[in-house]
Amino acid sequence: MAYLAPAEFVTKMIDAGESKLIMATRDTLIRAYMAGAILALSAAFAVSITVNTGNPLVGALLFPVGFCMLYLLGFDLLTGVFTLAPLAVLDKRPGATWAGVMRNWSLVFAGNFAGALTVAIFMAIIFTSGFTEGPNAIGQKIGHIGEGRTIGYAAHGAAGMLTLFVRAVMCNWMVSTGVVAAMMSTSVSGKVIAMWMPILVFFYMGFEHSVVNMYLFPSGLMLGGQFTFMDYMLWNEIPTVLGNVVGGLTFVGAALYSTHYKTAPKRKVA
Amino acid sequence: MRKCLRVSLGQHSLAGAHPINQDFHGALLPSGNLLASKGIAVALADGISSSAVSHLASETAVRSFLEDYYATSEAWTVRRAAQRVLDATNSWLHGQTMRSDARFDKDRGYVCTFSALVLKGRDLHMIHVGDSRIYRLHPNSLEQLTEDHRTESYLARALGAGPHVELDYRTWEAAVGDIYVLATDGAYGSLSAARIHQAIGRDSADLDGAAAWLVEQARAAGSDDDATLQLLRIEELPEDDALQAQQRREGLSLPPALRPRMDFDGFTIVRELQVSARSHVHLAIDNDSGRQVVLKTPAVDMRQDSGYLDSFVLEEWVARRVDSPHVIEAWPGERRRAYLYVAMEYIEGQTLAQWMTDHPRPQLDAVRDIVEQLALGLQALHRRDMLHCDLRPENVMIDRNGTVKLIDLANVHIAGLAEAARGREQAMPRGTLQYLAPECLLGREAGPQADLFSLAAITYQLLCGQLPYGLAAARIRRLQDLRTLRYVPLRHRRPELPPWLDSVLGKALSPTPAKRQEEVSEFAYDLRAPGRQFQLVARPPLIERDPVLFWKCLSLVLAVTVLVLVFWRNRGG
Repeated sequence: MAYLAPAEFVTKMIDAGESKLIMATRDTLIRAYMAGAILALSAAFAVSITVNTGNPLVGALLFPVGFCMLYLLGFDLLTGVFTLAPLAVLDKRPGATWAGVMRNWSLVFAGNFAGALTVAIFMAIIFTSGFTEGPNAIGQKIGHIGEGRTIGYAAHGAAGMLTLFVRAVMCNWMVSTGVVAAMMSTSVSGKVIAMWMPILVFFYMGFEHSVVNMYLFPSGLMLGGQFTFMDYMLWNEIPTVLGNVVGGLTFVGAALYSTHYKTAPKRKVA
Repeated sequence: MRKCLRVSLGQHSLAGAHPINQDFHGALLPSGNLLASKGIAVALADGISSSAVSHLASETAVRSFLEDYYATSEAWTVRRAAQRVLDATNSWLHGQTMRSDARFDKDRGYVCTFSALVLKGRDLHMIHVGDSRIYRLHPNSLEQLTEDHRTESYLARALGAGPHVELDYRTWEAAVGDIYVLATDGAYGSLSAARIHQAIGRDSADLDGAAAWLVEQARAAGSDDDATLQLLRIEELPEDDALQAQQRREGLSLPPALRPRMDFDGFTIVRELQVSARSHVHLAIDNDSGRQVVLKTPAVDMRQDSGYLDSFVLEEWVARRVDSPHVIEAWPGERRRAYLYVAMEYIEGQTLAQWMTDHPRPQLDAVRDIVEQLALGLQALHRRDMLHCDLRPENVMIDRNGTVKLIDLANVHIAGLAEAARGREQAMPRGTLQYLAPECLLGREAGPQADLFSLAAITYQLLCGQLPYGLAAARIRRLQDLRTLRYVPLRHRRPELPPWLDSVLGKALSPTPAKRQEEVSEFAYDLRAPGRQFQLVARPPLIERDPVLFWKCLSLVLAVTVLVLVFWRNRGG
């Protein structure tokens, strides 16, 4: 299994970030939509396993399949571009600006949200037999997940907000490590193994992932969760997005960039 | 054992009723490097019988073709090389005719037909003018590949008949066992597939004998013209990648990871210069000469990519063939290598990207000096039918004396090679997208104007630190995307620069290649001495030149109007 030297995969990370900024609007949206949908589906899959086995570890062990699929198909998650896109600006790539990064982030956010929402509606239809009966066991579980992670945080006030934020930071620390780890290997099996570990950690620990939440909470609202859309936005999605940005950028992107890239001699000949 | 290009050839010529044989034929079967880069050429010519000097014409045509074709640049396509050589021969022949009495009677001039086959790599190229013929032999039939340029009994097109000659050109893939026949009109009258098979069947190793027998048969059938016939049988064809530089790569193993102080293939590694996802670059000392060299090895990620490795070895080949102070030099050593790597001269200095950081708002003169040197480097490539295709500030070095040099020739597009590698599609352009010309992104054929676009984009960036179209130019995928391109005038970013700069840069940065300057040299000249067409551009309106002044003036007018109105109302009231 070939393994890249750190200096090699960091340039690869910057190249990947640069290509996100250059990507056409249409491609960015399609890739983000597909990524959101696949990740949402694997979240539904993991919750189903947890309910059926009664053991959350099994669900977490298998959740990474979705992440591997979307990575290998070349789709983009918000958490990934939070880490990669700013590197192009840090490295002063030609034409790379913070405005371009914001454009990319907004497009990927919109695409991920639309994809996750599509799967949320599809799964709600499945869990309720086309809205003709109450949600089944899995549907009820998803409906209640949202309550603890919105109203539950709100009950603790500022301390709840801090917890939410730190969980979001920890989440993208792990998820972005998965994205970067996948770049270290040149073979499919190597990429899958490298991605599996951090994703497993984040899902079992219940960290807050902005795209997984784009599925869990809208489905929760559809399946009878006792919280409002504003609760979801203020007490989950927005702080999660901010925490994900901080986690991906500081602990993964900037960390690897400054230690493995900036220290290398900058001169280039031939 | 590796397969190489091998053919059998048989040829014979017999004078007709005249004492002088007006036909001329020849073939060149080179070996080694020349065989790989230029291939095998077989040619014949037939002088017109009404002229007393046409035997000189046919001899000149064949001789100069065989000599000059092999002297043309290795980077030229067969078509371009043949066209150039025959254009020159044609002008010479036509000039001879015009200087002699024959200028009053073209039927007595230096005129001949010309037909040739060139076998290079796995491809056959046919060049033809006049009424000699080239056939392909099938089991039961003869396929005539050429068209007779003849109206009634006169030659409609021939070499030396006019100041310009239009040549027929075709190319197709050759197959082992193919037999081709080249014949003049004295020999093909009675030719048939059965007769050729019979001739070859008499002794398949002796194609000369077969050709002689066929010519005699033609004579026996009543032809009294000069008769010449050549037989070409393809015995063996090389593997797909024809070029020797590329063939060599298969014998080389991939280098180990290089570490400082390591001894590597006759070099001592000094230190790492740059490591990227594509290649590793190290400074090393050549143990024999003590000179500093730069060694470039493929990165781990690219080791499986044979297309990348093929173009990797070409970098040195390109550098050796371009002799310009503004293009990086290859390491001159001829030592036999055990590994796959590229060795180049070491340039002490800084990259243009670094220079840009050090000089955020440079004087026009400083930029002009750099751009002109870059243009010279690009011109040296263009003259050899190569395109740089990956021009960006990181790929330009400025040495301690201020000499600007192009480095990183890994993406150079070589016309002659593109022909040999035809069929191997290149999926995506590999250069840095921000500087690539739109036609490259659209997958169109790119010419020297593509490099001109990149050069102009760099010029723009040198002057103001930004790209002329932002990232929009890099997002082009379809033709309609071109409409999204909006050139941001330089005067918005640096108003103190002369206004004609925008016209010169705007022209060079046009999304349509045909609207740009024709050559990089023309662009460099326009930057130094802009023609009237650039000066005459209307002065931009005040709101564009100085928006603040415009709004100040407008406010003043408004203030005066208000005062006048107030004063007038008070008086009236």
